[in-house]
Amino acid sequence: MLIELLTKKYPGMRLWLTQRISAVMMVIYLMLMLIMLAIKQPHDYASWLDLMSPWWWRMLSLVFFASLFTHAWLGVRDVFKDYVFNLRLRAVLQVTVDILLIAYLCWVCIILWKL
Amino acid sequence: MKFSIYRYNPDTDKKPYMQDYEIELQEGDQMLLDALIRIKQHDDTLSLRKSCREGVCGSDAMNINGKNGLACTTKLSELEQPVVLRPMPGLPVIRDLVVDMTQFFEHYNSVKPYLINDDPLPETERLQSPEDRAKLDGLYECIMCGACTTACPSFWWNPDKFVGPSGLMQAYRFIVDSRDQAEAERLENLEDPYRLYRCHNIMNCVDVCPKKLNPNAAIANIKDLKIERAKEAKATKKTVSIKAI
Repeated sequence: MLIELLTKKYPGMRLWLTQRISAVMMVIYLMLMLIMLAIKQPHDYASWLDLMSPWWWRMLSLVFFASLFTHAWLGVRDVFKDYVFNLRLRAVLQVTVDILLIAYLCWVCIILWKL
Repeated sequence: MKFSIYRYNPDTDKKPYMQDYEIELQEGDQMLLDALIRIKQHDDTLSLRKSCREGVCGSDAMNINGKNGLACTTKLSELEQPVVLRPMPGLPVIRDLVVDMTQFFEHYNSVKPYLINDDPLPETERLQSPEDRAKLDGLYECIMCGACTTACPSFWWNPDKFVGPSGLMQAYRFIVDSRDQAEAERLENLEDPYRLYRCHNIMNCVDVCPKKLNPNAAIANIKDLKIERAKEAKATKKTVSIKAI
């Protein structure tokens, strides 16, 4: 329904909407997490593993972290746009953040894969 | 009453400085503008804009004890002393409390603040239902004083690109006007990542508006309207393609 708003046709809207959608995804995951915690009440490593290891929960966790990094990427991008006017410096900072976030996402994948 | 006022005359001063004044208020001096006029009687080199002296023209907007406002509607009794007066931030200073508002009005101009309607002119006026007219409440009252826009950090960082709360509220005022026919064009005009989307909802604009308006709500409404229109366009497209089948 909103896919068109996420295309290049809407350069301002797509960034704004992506940040909102990623925020909603995070809220949904955190609410699910609270429910799961209430139901399973993990108290040791084994029970935490039992909570986190089902494939569908790992997928949800991956979506959560992907949303978190997308949200952070857009937020930091906004800060750089507002405060860093030297384009070269801004590019260096942005690429550093991009590499870091991609590395974090890979790290999350490895952790979830190993569960 | 004690005042500390920003002074800068580009012809004679190398850099701005704060000048202290102490004046005795007379009976009837109730608003900050009354005191400024009283100061000007003693020191006529002090420059400031003023006109209607009743919160309608928006000329005497300035930074009062750190917060933007109108001198003519600010009560002296509510001010902490010394009253620190500075020009509105984020705009070039012409002299003392007078700022160059060219950039501000360029943004205002860029949102085409007038009705666009290609229908033939009616015999009398273009009519609106009371409901449609009510949509303009809280928007048309803006006096273009610039207090909101110059209190907005997004405008400070990108004054040439971000339209600012005042300009965006005026854009919305014409977008929702039932007599206007250029809604799509107006929404398209605000699509670039800077003009509208630099607003991060910190609401300084709402905090300082001397007319108690809410530019932040207008900005949020523009974003909502963009989503709504995209949904409608999609629905229309679907209907057309089903009919074609």
